[in-house]
Amino acid sequence: MSQSASSALAEVPYRAPVYQEINYLNADSGVMSWLKTLDHKRIGIMYLGSVLVAFLLGGIFAMIVRFELSTPEPTFIGANAYNRMFTLHGMVMIFLFMIPAIPGVFGNFVLPLMLGAKDVAFPRLNLLSLYVYWTGAAIVLFGVITGGADSGWTFYAPYSTTTPMTLFPVLLGVFILGFSSILTGLNFIVTIHTLRAPGITWMKMPLFVWALYATSIIQVLATPVIGLTTLLVGIEKVAGFGLFDPGRGGDPVLMQHMFWFYSHPAVYIMVLPAMGVISEAIATFARKNLFGYKMIAYSSLGIAFVGFFAWGHHMFVSGQSAFDGGAFAVVSMLVGVFTAIKVFNWVGTLYRGSIQVTTPFVYVCGFLFFVVFGGMTGIAVATVSLDVHWHDTYFVVAHFHFIMVGAVIMAFLAALHYWFPKMFGKTYHEGWGMVAASFIVLGFNATFIPQFLLGNAGMPRRYYMYPERFTALNVASTAGSTLLAFGFIIILIYLVYALVNGDVAGDNPWDSKGYEWMTSSPPIKENFEEIPNYEQEPHTYREPGEEVEHVVI
Amino acid sequence: MAENKKHIEEHGDGHEGGHGAGRYILIWAALLVFTITTVVTGRMDLGSANLPLAMVIATIKATLVVLFFMHMWEAEGILKLVFSVSLVFVAVLLLGVFGDILTRSTAALPSAANGTAIYMGADGTGHPSSPEH
Amino acid sequence: MSSSSAGAAAAGKPPGGGHGGHGDSDERHSHNPHLAHHFDDIETQNHASRLGMWLFLGTEVLLFAGLFLGYSVYRHLYHETFRFASHTLNLTLGTINTVVLISSSLTVALAHHAVTKGKNRLALGLLGFTILCALAFLVIKGFEYNHKFEEGALPGKWFHFEEMAGMPGANMFFTVYFLATGLHAFHVIVGMAILIWVAKRLARGDFSTDYNLPVELGGLYWHLVDLVWIFLFPLLYLI
Repeated sequence: MSQSASSALAEVPYRAPVYQEINYLNADSGVMSWLKTLDHKRIGIMYLGSVLVAFLLGGIFAMIVRFELSTPEPTFIGANAYNRMFTLHGMVMIFLFMIPAIPGVFGNFVLPLMLGAKDVAFPRLNLLSLYVYWTGAAIVLFGVITGGADSGWTFYAPYSTTTPMTLFPVLLGVFILGFSSILTGLNFIVTIHTLRAPGITWMKMPLFVWALYATSIIQVLATPVIGLTTLLVGIEKVAGFGLFDPGRGGDPVLMQHMFWFYSHPAVYIMVLPAMGVISEAIATFARKNLFGYKMIAYSSLGIAFVGFFAWGHHMFVSGQSAFDGGAFAVVSMLVGVFTAIKVFNWVGTLYRGSIQVTTPFVYVCGFLFFVVFGGMTGIAVATVSLDVHWHDTYFVVAHFHFIMVGAVIMAFLAALHYWFPKMFGKTYHEGWGMVAASFIVLGFNATFIPQFLLGNAGMPRRYYMYPERFTALNVASTAGSTLLAFGFIIILIYLVYALVNGDVAGDNPWDSKGYEWMTSSPPIKENFEEIPNYEQEPHTYREPGEEVEHVVI
Repeated sequence: MAENKKHIEEHGDGHEGGHGAGRYILIWAALLVFTITTVVTGRMDLGSANLPLAMVIATIKATLVVLFFMHMWEAEGILKLVFSVSLVFVAVLLLGVFGDILTRSTAALPSAANGTAIYMGADGTGHPSSPEH
Repeated sequence: MSSSSAGAAAAGKPPGGGHGGHGDSDERHSHNPHLAHHFDDIETQNHASRLGMWLFLGTEVLLFAGLFLGYSVYRHLYHETFRFASHTLNLTLGTINTVVLISSSLTVALAHHAVTKGKNRLALGLLGFTILCALAFLVIKGFEYNHKFEEGALPGKWFHFEEMAGMPGANMFFTVYFLATGLHAFHVIVGMAILIWVAKRLARGDFSTDYNLPVELGGLYWHLVDLVWIFLFPLLYLI
């Protein structure tokens, strides 16, 4: 299994893995010790539980949408209920899962370990960000129960301000969730600036740290704008202020500008940490120095900044001027350059590497495949003339699901499996890991490739009923989503089993050169007995010019 | 580690008050002078110069507050960078939206702006009026 | 390498979590009661706190940016109406409020300066004056709002301002006015609360020439409130 595989490749003689008996999980006991913890690792674990619940909820909404769409006629829910289902699927997935997941879970857990720090800069703010997340999530769910929202997750005015649905709690919840995001980003930026151990210079930080840094910049700069937008739309709905109401001289497109100024960089909040995970995992499982460390680091910053100039590509047919549309189109394509740089560097890392095919690695491969197709279709829809045809069709839906599910969730799963031994000191069953990964990759393809075809053939998104001729592809998509869901359920089962009954992982079961592996698994509460020596660069597996050893497993 | 420790050793962290209280009072006086200036010029009819003039004066006032009341003058570079970058993105937001507003066809702008005014009655409701407005 | 085993009492607490008393002199960092366990020395910790505060101020700038955007767009679309509307606002009260805020910025800066010189009683008085200025600002704003209610110069569907009936986009000016000054007033209230908290701690003897970061950071937040008004005032009242 994974232990003997990694030990065969290890450069040290085999010794039995040891479980760190007194560690952060059992250092203090009792529910209150968890709820009042200042330990970034415990906060990361609590985020993990929270976002998985959110993912389950968002997934249920998705399955309801897909089952409703399995027939062209009404299938089992009403039209208004359907509107609420896709709205809530979007809102829950984006605001309760995608935005907080990788930074909140893995960023929190691993960032101080990667910097040789004992905690993040502001541990109390870190706990506060978790509490704020719970509060915002609870209010969103309250909104869901009391009728929910039917405006789409994008809640454009004037529909959102005039719909009879009680949108306000959902908007308030999103507003509060924004603060959680800001606090996390702020904390990470200050941590990276001030808590790097001696020896870790900027150019020796692990690439996941660079990714988190770029993400945090976006979180701090962009989130306030969506905060204001939810506030303004909420006030308009409740108090009739009419800022975006055409009947009072207002401009609905202005609301879209403000909305997308955040929501486009938001997708980079989701994807940048995912890319950071890939950088970490790919070096470990190719056992090779990361190709082009500097380019990957700088391209993260590049995406963060240039991503702010591209928001208008969501508004090509909104009434926005053609001039502005064209400008946004060009900039949007520029962002693709940075992603391409990363993809080339990752593939360059794999080339002539000594590859261990493990579950995280399968997800890395899935990521690479899906980010290329998702990214290329992104460039395609960034072309104004093409988007006129594709806007608000399933082509766009497929594009963003390729990135959000195909890329980001693959990366989340890669991170979950890669750092599972670090977080819990146990290993999961690799065989089942591969089985689940197969279901997920295949199920994903089966779900979303038909949607590209549907969209190109003209099927609009957010539609409750559709013409007969789209039935076959919709059924295929629904069948695929079932496979996908099945894959996630398998993961849940074997990971819970591993938590309870898994084999001891030892400090570094992957034999990774990542800095976070230089301490015990699970880590002790203080992270390190002694701050390690950081002479080597991160992701370094061989000296320049060293011979490649191909090991047969 | 404290990348700024060298800065602190060389410049002092500026937070022990290397200057006297008088500096603050001087800045306050300057702010009042600029305030009076903008109040006087603001209500005058200078045509299209009103807005730029008011913004220039406001920017000067804001700069004084940021540099001296908020100690930006002697702050570490990263703090200057953080504040400047946030201002840059405010500009990005404004530029991106005005790039749209200024180049839209009038038919796509709110109707009150393109000559077909919405008559806003005294009760706040509107209906299209004759195009003379 | 680093004094990672600092036996500092204030484990896990970011700066500002002091328990009264005056901090030790700078030479004995590891015994500084304000030093959190995960920071190596107090300078780094203070720098981290300042960086965190400036990042937060950056988020506030971006928050208000959206409202300045709304103002700019609608001013561009309805410039005659906006010009007329700004002249209906009470210039005297607006100017007084501007002077009040600028003066409060002075006093809060002087308050911090006083603490760094060990003049805690003076600092407390200056902080108190700052808080009074904040209150005065809110009271004056209250008078202005009241007048608006009487006139009917209100946002959106509440608009019934006779003097501007028929002007294109008239209600839009007051929508932006109330949203911008309302959000600003909210920040004045929050700033006041922060300053009251800082003043209480100052009165309790928490701060000294060695440790006065919360006074500085509270002051920074207050200056931001002033900064926003420096731009709101001419845009809404003057031009």
